[in-house]
Amino acid sequence: MKMVLSQRQREELNQAIADYLGTNGYSEAVEAFRKEADLNSETEKKYTGLLEKKWTSVIRLQKKVMELEAKLSEAEKEVLEGAPTKSKRSPGEWIPRPPEKFSLSGHRASITRVLFHPIFSLMVSSSEDATIKIWDFETGEYERSLKGHTDSVQDIAFDAQGKMLASCSADLSIKLWDFQQSYECIKTMHGHDHNVSSVAFVPAGDFVLSASRDKTIKMWEVATGYCVKTYIGHREWVRMVRVHNEGSIFASCSNDHSIRVWQTNSKDCKVELREHDHTVECIAWAPDTAAAAINEAAGADNKKGHHQGPFLASGSRDKTIRIWDVGVGLCLFTLSGHDNWIRGISFHPGGKFMVTASDDKTIRVWDLRNKRCTKTLYAHQHFCTSIDFHKTHPYVISGSVDQTVKVWECR
Amino acid sequence: MNPCSIATQANDVDGDNRWLSIHKRFLSECLEKDPDVIFLGDCILENLQYTETWNQYFAPLHCLNFSIRNDRAENILWRVENGELDNVKPKIVVLHVGTNNVDNSPEEVSEGIFEIIKKIKEKLPDTYIVLPTILPRGQQVNKLREQNSRVNQLIKEKCVGMNRVQIVGIGKGLIQSDGTISHHDMFDYLHLTNTGSKKVFEPVFDLLTQILNENEPEKDLTPSE
Repeated sequence: MKMVLSQRQREELNQAIADYLGTNGYSEAVEAFRKEADLNSETEKKYTGLLEKKWTSVIRLQKKVMELEAKLSEAEKEVLEGAPTKSKRSPGEWIPRPPEKFSLSGHRASITRVLFHPIFSLMVSSSEDATIKIWDFETGEYERSLKGHTDSVQDIAFDAQGKMLASCSADLSIKLWDFQQSYECIKTMHGHDHNVSSVAFVPAGDFVLSASRDKTIKMWEVATGYCVKTYIGHREWVRMVRVHNEGSIFASCSNDHSIRVWQTNSKDCKVELREHDHTVECIAWAPDTAAAAINEAAGADNKKGHHQGPFLASGSRDKTIRIWDVGVGLCLFTLSGHDNWIRGISFHPGGKFMVTASDDKTIRVWDLRNKRCTKTLYAHQHFCTSIDFHKTHPYVISGSVDQTVKVWECR
Repeated sequence: MNPCSIATQANDVDGDNRWLSIHKRFLSECLEKDPDVIFLGDCILENLQYTETWNQYFAPLHCLNFSIRNDRAENILWRVENGELDNVKPKIVVLHVGTNNVDNSPEEVSEGIFEIIKKIKEKLPDTYIVLPTILPRGQQVNKLREQNSRVNQLIKEKCVGMNRVQIVGIGKGLIQSDGTISHHDMFDYLHLTNTGSKKVFEPVFDLLTQILNENEPEKDLTPSE
């Protein structure tokens, strides 16, 4: 489109240009310009810095407009469609809706991870205040704190039955906690040379994997506490490690922009996935139920045979989410919409949706089949650092740098 | 020898060793966090993190604030030499220092600051250094105001032609037409209020977002019909 300036605007622009040239010391240019544009030699005070001001404010306003438009369309959608009544919505369709059911405070620093217990109506949160707290997500009650780490707790993981909790910390240790009776620390494992960023149990529960800023991933035997394997390959800080539910492979992501998938039993890296342009913060394995939606989104033709998976989702500081077919090492599609780093991903157990948490302070719900964001929740006052979707109950939990943990009910 | 360019620990006047404790906490934050922007400075920047401006503008940029009250140029030089920029790869370092070097000459102070700039460049050669100008102080015109503006002038001359070093004038609009500074902007005629912070640090925020977004594809800014 062509933009036309009125005479008055043109004069203003000329004055602003002259001021810009003058204040930046382009003395010959300003003289020539004044002559050609027929300007008098004194610039009025109101033009000082005008060009710079306009130059920067356009970008700022544009950003504001986009934010407001997003909020407006969200509000319109809520009015037009509304939330269906609880009884009408099947478990496969329920998604978290505002307002939150509980906002739980108690931690004294940023929340780093939130996690549902696989069986009981409990959830745990870890924090930079070096503690882990246990809460009842149905009543919103605080249950107890696990103390023992001496620096930020970075990640937590349950074994399949929820009888044991693993945690890792910037104090370089990994701890195992009894979750049946005593809630005490039963083992502390050392071996990493730097901040330990992530832990995960293998499905059988006999080994734990840990990822660190020392660029390695280590495997620990639960019974003895010994480190039995070290996986080497990442070139930078390893951010997260997540085991596939069959246990034979696991994935890790790193500041080196890559995701690696490893054979659990050997030390071999099976595939390296590189397409993100920035640190990959988080990963999540898709449940089997998601295969149909992912295939449809990837445009796979059933006659030609479809993608077999396993499928992995990754969230990055490049503000995008990617869905991968790990079996063939391909990125199937990319989701964008978040306005800042993506910090947490969790799949809907029904397989049609996925939820993500971001430093743009929102939680977003993604419709996998249509590859679009169906809902944005303005969830926290500060960065959203973590999110988890309950496998059987209609709840989502989120944690934030604002030190709160929120429970969201799905409808 | 110029006292501003000799790395020195802060004098533990109170005898509780707080300065060193804060420094150690900064070191552990380096191990844990992965900031895009590091603020390095004195009380002006320290105070900034308790303002609305910080929460609204700077917090979403992934910042760490390594600023200590009363720090002088030589103290910050010591902190940089002793690990506060190790284990991190920020895209930008924002440096504000000098207003507490009240008993040094402008030449000494500017040399001290330049020493810090060189040290940062040595540790982080790819990182942008953003230098907000040292703010004026005192309700009425006084010799420290002159000193600070002289230091700003000298720093500007020293940094001419340096790549990835950028000075932002932030003192604009603080000094009123009668030469006084309002307590609405600086509650104690040195530290900024919420209102003052917004006025003063908005240009810094604009510059930071522009540097951080430099490599992103440009959005079409033409208004649609």
